[in-house]
Amino acid sequence: MSIILDGLVTALQPINLLLLVLGALLGTIVGILPGLGPATGIAVLIPLTFGMEPVSALILMTAIYIGALFGGSRSSILINTPGDGSSVAATFDGYPMTKKGQAGQAMSIAAIASLVGGIMAVFGFIFLAIPLADFALNFGPAEFVLLFLFALSIVVTLSMGNTIKGFLSMFIGLGIATIGVDLQSEVQRFTFGVPELIEGVDFIVVIIGIYAIGEVLYNLFNLNQPKATDHKIGSKWFTKEQWKRSLAPIVRSGPLGFFLGTLPGSGGTISSLFAYSAQRQLSKDPAEYGKGKVEGLVAPESANSASAVGALIPTLTMAIPGSGATAVMLGALIMIGVTPGPLLFEDSPDMIWTLINSMFIGNIILVILNIALVGVLMKVLHTPPKVLYPVILLLSFIGVYTLGYTTVDFYILLIAGVIGLLMRVMNYPVVPLILALIVGGDLEQEFQRSLVIYDNALGILFASPITIVLGILTLLSLLYPLLSVWLKNRKRKKETPSQSM
Amino acid sequence: MRAFRLSLPILFISLSLIYMIMIFQLPPALLGDPYAPRYFPMIVAAGILIFAVIDLVNVRGENVEDNQDLAVLLKKDSLKIIGVIVALCVGYALIFEWVGFLAATLLFLGALMFYLNGYQRWVLNLTVTLIFSFSSWYIFSQLLEISLP
Repeated sequence: MSIILDGLVTALQPINLLLLVLGALLGTIVGILPGLGPATGIAVLIPLTFGMEPVSALILMTAIYIGALFGGSRSSILINTPGDGSSVAATFDGYPMTKKGQAGQAMSIAAIASLVGGIMAVFGFIFLAIPLADFALNFGPAEFVLLFLFALSIVVTLSMGNTIKGFLSMFIGLGIATIGVDLQSEVQRFTFGVPELIEGVDFIVVIIGIYAIGEVLYNLFNLNQPKATDHKIGSKWFTKEQWKRSLAPIVRSGPLGFFLGTLPGSGGTISSLFAYSAQRQLSKDPAEYGKGKVEGLVAPESANSASAVGALIPTLTMAIPGSGATAVMLGALIMIGVTPGPLLFEDSPDMIWTLINSMFIGNIILVILNIALVGVLMKVLHTPPKVLYPVILLLSFIGVYTLGYTTVDFYILLIAGVIGLLMRVMNYPVVPLILALIVGGDLEQEFQRSLVIYDNALGILFASPITIVLGILTLLSLLYPLLSVWLKNRKRKKETPSQSM
Repeated sequence: MRAFRLSLPILFISLSLIYMIMIFQLPPALLGDPYAPRYFPMIVAAGILIFAVIDLVNVRGENVEDNQDLAVLLKKDSLKIIGVIVALCVGYALIFEWVGFLAATLLFLGALMFYLNGYQRWVLNLTVTLIFSFSSWYIFSQLLEISLP
């Protein structure tokens, strides 16, 4: 316990607090810019740590990491433009809240949700780091295949009433994910001779295209239409009622995000989408999600923040990064002389606990900063649309260019934007496409590995108790729309005779 | 309007068929199962085909006339504005590496601003174009040291 307190004392030193504030601010700014998520944020700001003490460098990187996570959701809420994959889920209900004139409330409650999720995860880390790392080791190819299928199934059933379109959207996402070299056989697929496509289509480019460009195009063709809602600023603080409704989703999603974060490769995107789907499935009025429901905003925010801490477990204990951002952090840790691995907790406990305490304090600083900045950020909404939209287009192009330094991504961005517009207008859910694109590559690779190990697809299902449980959950999730219709019909039939009486 | 609504599932069906043809043209893997790179795409192609056909059938039951967004999108003015914006974006992509970030951005943002706001608001258009072009160049290229053409 004393080593945890030592870490807290180190993190609370004035110079380290200053670095936390600086990193949180820089991270938030970087996170707001489309395309520049936590991974890119840390990567581009690493030069700032040159010449610093290892602990200070670590603290600065941690602050940039969680700051970028915060920043990403700010732009999701304000202008429907996610900074990176992990803040996509914040657009679903965050942006509709902004459209309803609740931008301030959305931002402040999202900040609190992130704080609570982050704090829960820090406690989770303290008590569960080692056992969870051991459990995550049980996840082999078959387990990952089933986990990805489960995630996809619940996202598809999210599109209640649009399940067919949801499946179609998911398969299109999986199709895009097959572009590029097959890592198992090194066969190039569907690249049309374009060298930039060998590594596949970057899902961030598609996400920015669908959301940012799609949103701008949608608003531009609607520009001369009478608006149903105008972007009023509203209160900067959430109401008691909103908090009451949010508490359970926040508390539920934190541990879920933390656990998913510990699975190598899953990251904040899957955690937040998973938490959103789970929250919607548990809800009594799922049809209201996507229309500005506060529960739909806080659940993914809490999970996202918790997964950032969870992702550090495989990174630090097994040197397996849990997300893109932790992969960059892993490199940075090695650069400052920390060697992640099973012995790290014995060799450098001071470093670990300083890192964890920095995340804890960083989250608090970010909430204060973000709530203080709500007014400044909301000024964005005062910008005339005919000025704001060209600027969003420009930022999207620059953000995308920074990902791969190629203009081929500009065309992908644009195609994704037009697809996003058409899908929106014709009521095709885009979330299944996004999740399928994100997990598609890993799903295929794990599927191929599993086929080699278990000989056939059915063998994958019965590979271990984990796969059996995940298989049953996937089946239940897929049957859920049918079950809910059957239950509703049954209820209606029961009520009909009593009403007639 | 229904014809336009039908176009999307028809497009998906066509794409899935083209995708299938391309799958069969993939070279065999030199390591392990030669057909391994085809299995997953085949499942995907079959998935797109099946659900696109169901979607096509379902369009008959959809009340397409109620879709306000689709009605607005299909108006001549909407299609024109989207066409011009997309054309400007393509133009930006074409000249980006050729003339460099700053010049391309000045032209792109300027064109967008003048197209959307008209020539009467030239002061606003020029101010926004200059401020955002130079500040984005400074932030990305100088502060973040991101290599821009």
